[in-house]
Amino acid sequence: MKSIKEDILEDMKNTCLTVSFELKKHFRMKRMVISFALAIGLPLIFYIVPRIWASFPETAEEFANLNLSFVNLLIIISGSLFAGDAVVGEFEEKTGLLLFSTPQRHTTIFIGKYIGALLPTLTVVTIYYLTTSLEIIGIYGTEGISLEFFKSFFIALVYTSSAVSLIFFFSSILKRKITSTLLGFFSLMMILPIVSSVLQFLVEVEPWYILTYTEGLITGVFVGATPIGGGPGGQPGQFSPDFYQGITIMVVYTVVLFFLSVFISNRRRME
Amino acid sequence: MDDDCIIRTENLVKKFGEDVTAVDNVSFEIERGEVVGYLGPNGAGKTTTIKILTNLIEPTSGRACINGIDVNRYPKEALKDVGSLIGVPGVYGYLTPDEILTYFGKVYRMSKEKIERRIEDVLELVNLSDWRYSKIESFSTGMERRLAIGKSIFHEPSILILDEPVLGLDPEGIREIRELIKSFQKKDVTVFLSSHLLDEVSKVCDSVIFLYDGEMIERDSVERIDQIMKQYRVIEVEFLDNLTESDLQKVRKIPVIDEVTKINQNKIRIIKNEGNPASTAEILKKVIDEGLDVISYSPKKSDLEDFYVSLVGKKGDAR
Repeated sequence: MKSIKEDILEDMKNTCLTVSFELKKHFRMKRMVISFALAIGLPLIFYIVPRIWASFPETAEEFANLNLSFVNLLIIISGSLFAGDAVVGEFEEKTGLLLFSTPQRHTTIFIGKYIGALLPTLTVVTIYYLTTSLEIIGIYGTEGISLEFFKSFFIALVYTSSAVSLIFFFSSILKRKITSTLLGFFSLMMILPIVSSVLQFLVEVEPWYILTYTEGLITGVFVGATPIGGGPGGQPGQFSPDFYQGITIMVVYTVVLFFLSVFISNRRRME
Repeated sequence: MDDDCIIRTENLVKKFGEDVTAVDNVSFEIERGEVVGYLGPNGAGKTTTIKILTNLIEPTSGRACINGIDVNRYPKEALKDVGSLIGVPGVYGYLTPDEILTYFGKVYRMSKEKIERRIEDVLELVNLSDWRYSKIESFSTGMERRLAIGKSIFHEPSILILDEPVLGLDPEGIREIRELIKSFQKKDVTVFLSSHLLDEVSKVCDSVIFLYDGEMIERDSVERIDQIMKQYRVIEVEFLDNLTESDLQKVRKIPVIDEVTKINQNKIRIIKNEGNPASTAEILKKVIDEGLDVISYSPKKSDLEDFYVSLVGKKGDAR
């Protein structure tokens, strides 16, 4: 009989195995290449275009703000690619018949799948920020990298986790990979932003609990639109997310949707 | 518990919703080294039982144990020494057999050296050596099937649970799998094998469990069933005209006839309960005496299929 410690260690090993298996899957399906190319290519556009046809913004903050306004798109694309089929794929393709009948707790497999989707998405965001930071250093010098830049990076990482959790959740409840991937993509790209806009501009209520509303913090930290610690406020239709509240919402989405996804996936059976 | 009992189900019930009972109170035990066939038509509950035994689904009630360990409560421990093939699984088309087997080798905590050695052995065994580094998406259905079988035996399990293992294989592939299963018998591997191909099962199994409509209707050794079937004689009779229910009743009333099953509108299968050739002639005479126009009368050697049909017939009558 194994001790609890040995048991946990074995579960962790199984989770690591699933993570490496998932990463191999993403690599083989060219998802890594696509995402990494976008993570390098998108910021390069903001460097090359002004260099050839126009001029760079006056301050590093303006440049970062412009450049990082597209990181959300990258998070949504990468998150959908990496998490969209994570759980549902095993059921739809029936590969779960091979995988789930092995001596592993299904929970360890699903946790591994979540990490396997989160890690590459976080890496993609990190590459985007690294590329942007190199551009800033190249144009404005090292002093161009401000504290706000790191703050934005931190927010982007937390937002990535919550976005991946949301898409992973769809993957755990839906029956088709394509539905899960598209629903994840369009929820973050259109559906939630539309709901957020309707609440802000028509109902004049601050949608502080909507995930995509908090995403505004990624660039919001640069232009001072978010008075840090200032709480929700502003004129009707001109709300801006509060830093701490936004981070809390993102963390809540991440944790709740992660646990919910693992719970639902565990209940789901190869029937 | 009996040390030799490797697989045990206790009053296993699986319901899907309120109305569908896929497995109904199924209890059986399989001992070490036994090769047991789990037989029944499509929808009888074979795959559902196997899915419970491999922790793919949970029973509504009852227990499934492997080596005395409840599979659904302690899957990690129970499935450690089990190789399984369930239904027609997908096989990660973007990977190669080498990568898939390496992954599962790691799941079963095999050493690097053993993984390497087993990949060579297993791919040789399932005739996929030349495809070791090819992406599976280019494989035919039969090749995918053979790879899935290879995966199930990769870690040299002492228990094999196979659901319709020859499904999708060509005759040569079927023969190879049959030989493979026979070789496990010699190695003291316990095999639990579901199939609807009764002939296949009779060639490899020591004993069989018959399932019908979710219920276990019989369990016996293949040898004993052979003995029983020697007592039976099956005759297929074709008539000129379509048979009415009263025609069937007339045939059923003939002494020594145990079972009459309608094959189609003008054809029946008769199972008689003794092997005397004189009674075969006697039955023909009586059928003609009843005024039925016989156009063909073919006594057949009875097999596992006939045994199953007779069991199902009795079950239907009992209801």
